[in-house]
Amino acid sequence: MNIDQTKIDEAVSTIIGHGGHGILKCVQCGACSAVCPGVRAGFSLLCRNLIRHLLNGQLEEIIEDSSSWGCQACNRCTEVCPQGVRPQEVVFAFRRYQANELAFSTSSITSQMNLFETGHAVYADPREARKKVGLPETTPTSAFDDKAKSEIQALINNSPMGELGLF
Amino acid sequence: MAKVGVYVCHCGSNIAGVIDVAAVRDFAETLPDVVIARKDLFMCSDSGQEMVKQDVRNGVVDRVVVAACTPRTHEPIFRAAIEKAGLNKYLFEMANIRDQGSWVHGHDHEGATEKAKKIVASAVGKARNLEPLEDKFVPVTDAALVIGAGIGGISAALALANMGHKTYLVEKRPSIGGVMAQLDKTFPTNDCSACILTPMMVEAYNHPNIETMTYAEVDDVEGYIGNFKAKIRHKQTYIDWSKCTGCGDCASKCPSKTPDEFNAGLSDRRAAYIMFPQAVPKKAVVDIEHCINCAGREIGTLPKINEKTGRPILAPCERACQAEAINRSIAHNPDGTIREIEIGSIVVATGYQVMDKGWFKEMAPASPNVITALQLERIISATGPTEGKLLRPSDKEKPHTITFVSCMGSRDEHFHTYCSRFCCMYMIKQARLIKEKYPDMVINMHFIDVRAAGKGYDEYYTGARKMGINFFKGKVGGLEMLPADKLRVLAYDMESATSIEYESDLVVLATAVELPPDATALAQKLGLQFCGSHFFRELHPKLGPVETATEGLFLAGCCQGPKDIPDTVAQAKGAAAAAAMPLAQGRVKIEPIISEVYSEMCSGCGICVPLCPYHAISMKTIADRPRAQIEMSACKGCGVCTSACPSGAIVLHGYEESQIFAQIAALTA
Repeated sequence: MNIDQTKIDEAVSTIIGHGGHGILKCVQCGACSAVCPGVRAGFSLLCRNLIRHLLNGQLEEIIEDSSSWGCQACNRCTEVCPQGVRPQEVVFAFRRYQANELAFSTSSITSQMNLFETGHAVYADPREARKKVGLPETTPTSAFDDKAKSEIQALINNSPMGELGLF
Repeated sequence: MAKVGVYVCHCGSNIAGVIDVAAVRDFAETLPDVVIARKDLFMCSDSGQEMVKQDVRNGVVDRVVVAACTPRTHEPIFRAAIEKAGLNKYLFEMANIRDQGSWVHGHDHEGATEKAKKIVASAVGKARNLEPLEDKFVPVTDAALVIGAGIGGISAALALANMGHKTYLVEKRPSIGGVMAQLDKTFPTNDCSACILTPMMVEAYNHPNIETMTYAEVDDVEGYIGNFKAKIRHKQTYIDWSKCTGCGDCASKCPSKTPDEFNAGLSDRRAAYIMFPQAVPKKAVVDIEHCINCAGREIGTLPKINEKTGRPILAPCERACQAEAINRSIAHNPDGTIREIEIGSIVVATGYQVMDKGWFKEMAPASPNVITALQLERIISATGPTEGKLLRPSDKEKPHTITFVSCMGSRDEHFHTYCSRFCCMYMIKQARLIKEKYPDMVINMHFIDVRAAGKGYDEYYTGARKMGINFFKGKVGGLEMLPADKLRVLAYDMESATSIEYESDLVVLATAVELPPDATALAQKLGLQFCGSHFFRELHPKLGPVETATEGLFLAGCCQGPKDIPDTVAQAKGAAAAAAMPLAQGRVKIEPIISEVYSEMCSGCGICVPLCPYHAISMKTIADRPRAQIEMSACKGCGVCTSACPSGAIVLHGYEESQIFAQIAALTA
């Protein structure tokens, strides 16, 4: 790896621009990765290691990596971080960068589509299961409410997500 | 007419990198009474000073303005230079165009240059009005006070005493020794802590020039360098120390238990106790807060009489004491006794505490098998609760896997942003001592990075690797309590970028070094300031590491910042040398920049008396009425009285009205 200050500056300003304001505070102690369920599940480019790559200026090199989509947003990293980096914000900033470059992981596209179509990012048809236990088949949520659905779609279409042209 | 010389300093690029020094010099030349203006790369250098001296010697100038850095460090240098050249040294004024100019306006070269001109004009305005002043001298009391008797305080006291100065050594606990007395062995040579400390404790206690006062605290200090008066409160021991033989019988009979501070809370001591077996002095005290007043008899009341025998029914401690040192019938004063001492200088060596594990909620503090490193130190110490056997607290079983966690509360913006400096080394030491004794023990050490800067330290660390101790780079994120008193360690290996998860039997936290809470009250009594890390502030981080802003008051050891034993001893000896200076000289200089009352103008209103922070002003009847008078040696020249006096009767030499108004006029021109 060559140390290219232009690339480092670009990576840092991209992440800060997308909300990862604390990235330069990182001292690479690794506490975030110690508690990260994503790292434990094998997504190695999360938290400490993601920040290291970004601080190396390797923004474009890792754009296709799917680790960032393994973040469960539990925020334990933020709790244990001794320097106030808020690593989850860095992960999310990197995701926003990826999304803007249309570098989605397939797993995340499914949830975007779910969100657009049902108002739920994680969705499974509940009707049969509910019927089995004697509950009304449909839930009082956006999934079965066309007015709510169209409002959600209007919101998405008018947000940066809409500009990606996925829907 | 004054003949003012102005000398503008580049300070390398410190000033000249921002300020147009030539322009400032050209401007200075145009100011009234300025006869010469020069510039130099470093005014404080030999050649820079020589330039000023030449102009003084040749009679070119009789007032000197140096536009450079801060008077805090450099005013004494230039004052000495002009004095050497034959000019009264108080005919000098410094214009601080670095701290107030180039350093704070680095982005605005033009503005900084304009500001520097104003600062120089103001200094010249003052210099034109300066009057010569004379230093005054007062005799000193040839004695020193050392507060705190850990390894720092003991080292300082011994150094002072060996230089021939009477030294009072004050310690709040019943015994001297400090934290070092609690340690097992010491890095990087594995000397037994007790073996090297105890002889020093005895030497200090028996030294003809040292008077040790244990179980005592500083109540109040007043005065100034050379002539301090301190009130030392001997806390109430409830045991007659002139009779106590240190046998410990009272402690063995006392029924009241409380956590033993010396064993870091891992065992109990009694309310009547001797601090530890090697205590110096080896004397018992009754900790009245935890005394349960056996048989409902308050201290200071007479015992009941046994109806059958006609003898008094004594408390267990009284009955146990063969030396008759315990008499609970006496109405002991709970506040103890106050002793006043006079000293010429003071060394503060009050030490530190380590943070409690309770602060770290993610580290399973509820588990008895999560301990601080100081607690481990007691466990592996032969004088500790397990007599040196490595047994974990929950079940007194030998652990198989031990985990060391670094940087708990250090390098952490939630607690302390500084590095506690000696945790890496003591953890490695503890790991090595355990591995030597139990080679099969699995020892995992987790560091952000290993800080082993010191003589022989890195070799000590690499040696630990060779012994088979496991090192991991990466901070531990959390611990989870598991059945059978085990702990799940959530860690991370930075080098391979993989998470680590395993079960451990005992987890040791290297918790941060910090000042104990009672340090704040002491700081108020002594006039000490705190630094950003909440340790006592030294005069200068590089050039005044043992001095403080108060002359005659010095610092040693961890109260000034975290440091290990070698550094503490070195600083303590430095502080002792500094504290001995006024004592050795026999007199101290009083700077003439102090206030004086023109008594013919004083109306005797007395407003100034309560305002003086140094109690330097009193009312004395002069001619027909009481008038204010200032004790020269107590005045610090703060100027509060001068600005408050409604009659304008008090002058602060060096900051006289004509001088200050000239400065204001120049700044607002």
